[in-house]
Amino acid sequence: MKLIGGFVPFRALAVARKEFMHVMRDPFTIAMAVGVPVILVIVFGFAIDFDFRGIRMAVYDHDDSRLSRQLSEGFSSSGYFTVIDGRSPGAPVTEIEDGTAAAALVINPGFEKKIARGESAPVQVIVDGSDNQKTGVVGGYISGIQKAMTVKLAGAPAYEPIAMRSRFVYNPELNTQWFIVPGLIVIVTGLLSILLTALTVAREWENGSMEMLLSTPVTPLEIIAGKILPYVGLGLLGITFVYVIARMVFSVPFKGSYVVFFAACLLFTTTSLAQGLLISVVTRQQQKAMQASMMSGLLPSMLLSGFIFPIESMPVFFQYLTMILPPRWFMIIIRTLFLKGTPVEGLAVPFFALTLMTVILITVAVRKFKRDVEP
Amino acid sequence: MNIRYGIYLDKLVKRFGLTTAIDSLTLAVEPGLLHGVIGPDGAGKTTLLRLMAGLLRPAGGTITFTANGENADFEHVRPQLAYMPSRQSLYPDLSIEEHLEFFKSLYQLAPDVYRERASRLLGITRLERFRGRKVGQLSGGMYKKVGLMCALLRSPAVLLLDEPTNGVDPISRREFWELLYQLSGEHILILISTAYMDEAERCSRVHLLDSGRCIASGEPAQVLAGEKVQSFDELWMKRA
Repeated sequence: MKLIGGFVPFRALAVARKEFMHVMRDPFTIAMAVGVPVILVIVFGFAIDFDFRGIRMAVYDHDDSRLSRQLSEGFSSSGYFTVIDGRSPGAPVTEIEDGTAAAALVINPGFEKKIARGESAPVQVIVDGSDNQKTGVVGGYISGIQKAMTVKLAGAPAYEPIAMRSRFVYNPELNTQWFIVPGLIVIVTGLLSILLTALTVAREWENGSMEMLLSTPVTPLEIIAGKILPYVGLGLLGITFVYVIARMVFSVPFKGSYVVFFAACLLFTTTSLAQGLLISVVTRQQQKAMQASMMSGLLPSMLLSGFIFPIESMPVFFQYLTMILPPRWFMIIIRTLFLKGTPVEGLAVPFFALTLMTVILITVAVRKFKRDVEP
Repeated sequence: MNIRYGIYLDKLVKRFGLTTAIDSLTLAVEPGLLHGVIGPDGAGKTTLLRLMAGLLRPAGGTITFTANGENADFEHVRPQLAYMPSRQSLYPDLSIEEHLEFFKSLYQLAPDVYRERASRLLGITRLERFRGRKVGQLSGGMYKKVGLMCALLRSPAVLLLDEPTNGVDPISRREFWELLYQLSGEHILILISTAYMDEAERCSRVHLLDSGRCIASGEPAQVLAGEKVQSFDELWMKRA
């Protein structure tokens, strides 16, 4: 039996038209298509912020001098810390232990005198290390404040052996939203395209209509093309939504080319649709298709695409694993286009990887899509 | 121009895991007649029809289609074959008319051909005034008629109907049969499966199926006489 008995665009369009009617009449699909991007943008755009502000710091000022008070003011005026008086008679760690503060500053007696004499005046900073992400960032703030306060209290050093000045290009203020929001395009597209396609084909099996369809002249390729067409539209709508929010609400720059952007979105949407299709062809049940989509779609794109957790800091095995995950490549393309704007040649590898995966996924899906109802 | 199709099964076998659904079945479905495949639930009726529709692959034996007495390739018969599954297989959120238009596009019918056929089908099924109603809101009998219309829209030469009257009230069942009589004739081969024994007598040929085997075949009266019983109900009671 022939696998693909030709392709008549007219029949594929008929399937697409029918599918469009299903979408428009199904509140769940519309809610998914509209709700998922909105919720993700709210959660990740507004809630996630790697800039920590108002970290409560208990200050034990045993020197109680002008300079020591200036030092603790230096912490509070940075905006990153809210200074509270350390009142515990015992160890300064008490406040950290009972959760009233996340950090403590201990200034020993003789702080002012030592600085006046030109000696080094040790100050202890204790930070709650139970949250790695936070601790790393707070460490950065502390060394920044240390440098600034050294200059302020003791004057600029006459001689600086290594004058290191760092400047961050592409995202000078290291704005979290600039980093996160464009990445949401990857999550939204991936999830919508995979989940909705997986559900639509599985539904056709579940409600028995596939049996009727397969007995008509329509070929598997026409069914596939017709089924995914409306979801390409939905996926691109989701992308447009996130793009507009990123630019208007979060003022993320867009440095790349729109043509490349559109091509990349279309490519990745197709990759995801092919993945959803493969899932539904194999599972043939909406419930299973939903679970498989979540496992193979949402989790990798959230955790292994570099969306939040850098791939470079993963164990070697996982670094290689991410290579077979389409979101990883699309994430590179999207972040580059928004923040860097590299010409196309710079994106050749991600584009090639995505194309390869799309071809593989579609081939496997079409092969698995049989023109019969064999179990 | 009109081709008369026949279907001949020879020692057909189909297994699902350890279950043998069709067990060395030999059967002749001769052209131009209204055939009934009669058997209790689990006899293998659905599997048999799916095999004939090319939706399942046999594990053994052969299915031979003939066109005007000559062997024909299934791919040549397929465009002339319509199949109506026993399971619910329509889209509950689409109306009758939307179903017809969808299948029209799949069969690639010309607009005038479609208009003529659709209005004739809506007429004989008496569903004209429900054409805008969603299929999910139709009664069981109407639902089956819509399924039949979708299959008939392509004017098939071979029509396979899997339990089209299952779960349909007696009056709608009678209507359905009248519809089948209107359709049947020289140029269409109709094969219908049913678990209702009283429907056996309505067919011009019956094939009694039990546990994947054909236990009797022929004109209803002959089959009854051969088994020395008055009715098909009695026949099954005797066998059980």
